[in-house]
Amino acid sequence: MVKRLTLILTLALLVAMMLVLSMPMSTVAQDAEPTPIVGAFGGGETKISYWNGLTGSDGVTMNEMLAQFADENPEFEVTSEIIPWNTLYAKLQAAFVANQPPDLILMHASEVPQFANFGVLMDLGPWYAGNGGWFDENDISEITYSGMQYQGVTYAIPLDNHGRGLWINTDMFDAAGMDTDPATAPDNYEDWVTLMQAVTLDADGNNAADPEFDSENVVQWGYVVGEWPRVNFLSALAQHGGEMVSEDGQVTVNSDAGIAALQQTVDLVYEHNVSPPPAGFDTWQGFASGSVAIIPTGTWFRNFAVDQTDINGMAWPQVQFGEQPATWFGIHAFMLPASSTPEKAEAVQALLQWISANQATWAGSGQVPALLSVQASLDAVNYPSNILLGQTFTEYGILDYTSTVTQEMYAALDPELDAALNNLKSVEDALNDAAERMQQVLDRAM
Amino acid sequence: MNSKSISGNGVKGRLTLTLKSRETLAAYAFLAPFMVFFSIFVVRAVVEAVRMSFYDWHILRPMRPYIGIDNYVELINDKVWWISLQNTVVFTALTVVGTTIVALAAAVAVTRPIKGQSFFRVLLYMPSLLSVGAVGLIWVWLLNTQFGIINYGLSFLGIRPVNWLGDPGLVIPSLSLTTIWWGFGFPMLIFIAGLQGIPEQLYEAARIDGGSNRDLFLYITLPLLRPTILFVTVTGVISHFQVYGQPFIMTTGGPGRSSYSLIFYLYQIAWTAFRMGYGAAVAVCIAVIMAVMTSVQFIVLSRRIEY
Amino acid sequence: MKPERSILPQHTITYVFLTLLGLFVVFPMLIAVSQSFMTNQEVNRWPPQIIPVEPTLQAIHSVLTQQDLRLDLWLRNSLIAATGYTAAVLVLCAPAAFAFARLRFPGNNILFGFLLVTIMIPSQVTLIPNYLLMRDLQWLDTFNALVFPGAANVFGVFLLRQFFIQVPSDLEEAAVLDGAGYFGRFWHVILPLSRNALTALGIFVFLFHYNDLFWPFIVTNSLETRTLPVGLAILNSSYAGQYRPMVLSGAVLSSIPILIVYIIFQRQIIQGITLTGMGGR
Repeated sequence: MVKRLTLILTLALLVAMMLVLSMPMSTVAQDAEPTPIVGAFGGGETKISYWNGLTGSDGVTMNEMLAQFADENPEFEVTSEIIPWNTLYAKLQAAFVANQPPDLILMHASEVPQFANFGVLMDLGPWYAGNGGWFDENDISEITYSGMQYQGVTYAIPLDNHGRGLWINTDMFDAAGMDTDPATAPDNYEDWVTLMQAVTLDADGNNAADPEFDSENVVQWGYVVGEWPRVNFLSALAQHGGEMVSEDGQVTVNSDAGIAALQQTVDLVYEHNVSPPPAGFDTWQGFASGSVAIIPTGTWFRNFAVDQTDINGMAWPQVQFGEQPATWFGIHAFMLPASSTPEKAEAVQALLQWISANQATWAGSGQVPALLSVQASLDAVNYPSNILLGQTFTEYGILDYTSTVTQEMYAALDPELDAALNNLKSVEDALNDAAERMQQVLDRAM
Repeated sequence: MNSKSISGNGVKGRLTLTLKSRETLAAYAFLAPFMVFFSIFVVRAVVEAVRMSFYDWHILRPMRPYIGIDNYVELINDKVWWISLQNTVVFTALTVVGTTIVALAAAVAVTRPIKGQSFFRVLLYMPSLLSVGAVGLIWVWLLNTQFGIINYGLSFLGIRPVNWLGDPGLVIPSLSLTTIWWGFGFPMLIFIAGLQGIPEQLYEAARIDGGSNRDLFLYITLPLLRPTILFVTVTGVISHFQVYGQPFIMTTGGPGRSSYSLIFYLYQIAWTAFRMGYGAAVAVCIAVIMAVMTSVQFIVLSRRIEY
Repeated sequence: MKPERSILPQHTITYVFLTLLGLFVVFPMLIAVSQSFMTNQEVNRWPPQIIPVEPTLQAIHSVLTQQDLRLDLWLRNSLIAATGYTAAVLVLCAPAAFAFARLRFPGNNILFGFLLVTIMIPSQVTLIPNYLLMRDLQWLDTFNALVFPGAANVFGVFLLRQFFIQVPSDLEEAAVLDGAGYFGRFWHVILPLSRNALTALGIFVFLFHYNDLFWPFIVTNSLETRTLPVGLAILNSSYAGQYRPMVLSGAVLSSIPILIVYIIFQRQIIQGITLTGMGGR
């Protein structure tokens, strides 16, 4: 009897909970903007299926653009499918195998070689102005254009440049008496360390340069090395004049430049005490909770920094540890399957023309529009981070290494970087082991 | 059958024969639907996987050269394979032992004639109803070194932050703890069923003989539960050896490769590098190891039961 | 008198133990529920807050209205797929178990032993070949792919055979005297007597399939065919960094239906385990 009663009570509780949850929700939902049907925009005859990995706030911006497109062009219906990047590639391979690819794919420039090599991408060269098309290759940076190509064929239309920059907590800079003007950013390792030490504080308020500093009891970190270490490493490698793979096909992450680059980063943790070890530290939460002064992140951080935190912050250019500036960036680019019919290709072309003409809207996602003319027209009050970081990409940006197995090489590199940064391996050992495995991957692909 | 029909009455012999063959036919008819599916989705797939493991088989590449045992040679020389194997064995051992102990203790407690019995049975099973994604998300936050609530609690006891998921020596035990929390519910149910099957008279007789509660547990409950324990540990090994979601969501195999599991590595090979041939070789080796482990378990544990 | 006194402390220990274990079990879930009612800012604050200061339905609202999240649709898919799968398992396994348990035919034991051995083969071995087969059958992105590949469930045959063996044979003999054939014995005698065992197996199979992630993830491509665990995994990897409360409320909301199923069938599940002999009887 008692047992039955407990059961009934628990059930009743659950039902009540669901009711409580659902009632205010429906009222809220009525107030909110009517949302379009599941990622489907418009109801026209011409249907376009479109896959991308724009999860989070940039996906919202993209969907807004699609909705506007469908509004202005009622003959179309665009079905947008958002799949997180890391799984998008797996799904795409599967879809190509099954011969059911979407009509339009948004990927990164770094995926062009792999998919082009399999012969599943359409040659978009004719869409470029140089071949009598509509997309002006002179209005994008040279490096962006090069990222669209593989073995002399142009396979993609770029949407943006998105890449590495810093976000700083301006209140912490002010408190430490440091200048927040990005133009004052240091241009060598020693000065960066000095700056990071000034904004690293222990529980007693001593900064990391202070002899009294208690490295066991840090409450505010100057920097976080655990935030996507690979692209930091690639940037620093280039700053020291190194490269991931040499011209003759040798993996050179363990070159002197590579060792110097990684050692400097490791030293930030164990030598200069300005960064926690990567493992077990949530970097975004660290910044949002006011425990991190400088986070190496990127253009995509804008909406999070502005909307999701209480922090006063701003974008800064990438750190410079080597002799020359360099920062990693990627390109979101549109591609079509080779199996596309002429009718589909034409419909997709209309959509891409519209998106390219409206690239300024894309700046709302935090990313930097690929078209230089659009970059130049952005207003400095609303888009300071886009403008600042966009310039660094054009001036000294580096792209991923072009090969069909870049992702697989990264899978061999990432754990080794993580091991070195967590002090499980020496920098030399980690990079030697990484180079050995990456070389195997590269040799297999040759 | 032949000798039977010769020695016995001719008609009767034929009749038994037809009856027998009718029964055989019926049995095959009953088995047929299951066997059709079994052959297609299990037998054929296993044979196909073994065959694939002898090829350089990339999912989108049309060329698939036969390369003999090269994939297996590569595997023997693959450091990451051995690291993953070691991690997986440690994880499986910790998790199976922990789960069995917690589940057994919980089952004993909730089979006592206490108030709130079904309440606790529902409550303790609740984590098992969560998906691995939810479990990972919750525990990553709990175990976070800097912002985790566990370290926050420990700080009041004057304990320095513990690097649960970042220390190579702690990451596997931490994943194990998470998995025990998540998965002890099902074995608990099995133990409850096992405990309910032990005749109450046995306990009464032992109590009359002056046995303490501890004696009752050690000399009646445990021996009689041996088959149940065998079942729980064997199925535990089979399922935990295939751990994948916890490292994937909570550590992405890190720090370094300290929490790479076999299936996590297999996923990378097959779905990041798309090397299906090598992936098949890895999968086949995992299957062989599991078969050996389970057989050993059966032999060791069932011998104890006879004794 | 003596037993009376010894029962009290004994139960106290039980209660203390259950309370501690209960706290260990409940606390993480409580955190998840509590954070579902926080703002994105609040979960990121330090020191951590256990109870939301200003509870908000913002996260739950957005998980239910965000365009790329269709919990209702995914829940429906999960229920359809799990129900279809459960039905397929029962339809395939029950006759096979009947043959193994009640009929004599050459190779009975060998075949059954062979089936048992295959339990040890990890699903990843068959994953790739079966994926390619789904492609060739054009079953990708359909419910067929979620229902049929795992339907030949050896575990199910094993459990049902254990139960069918225990059914007293005189009932069946009586049916034979009444002129029942093999199918009649199966349909009119064994099945009705095994309702509990079938229910238990059905619930297990349902629960396991409902939480299955890997296979559905590989074979479903579109928003419309995703199941709940796949959708949640995607929700997790897309939003966990920035929108914790939203992801957690998704997880919390989606576990409510399955919790209700469990509460309703709790007793049958334990009974089923006892009946099918998994408990060692």
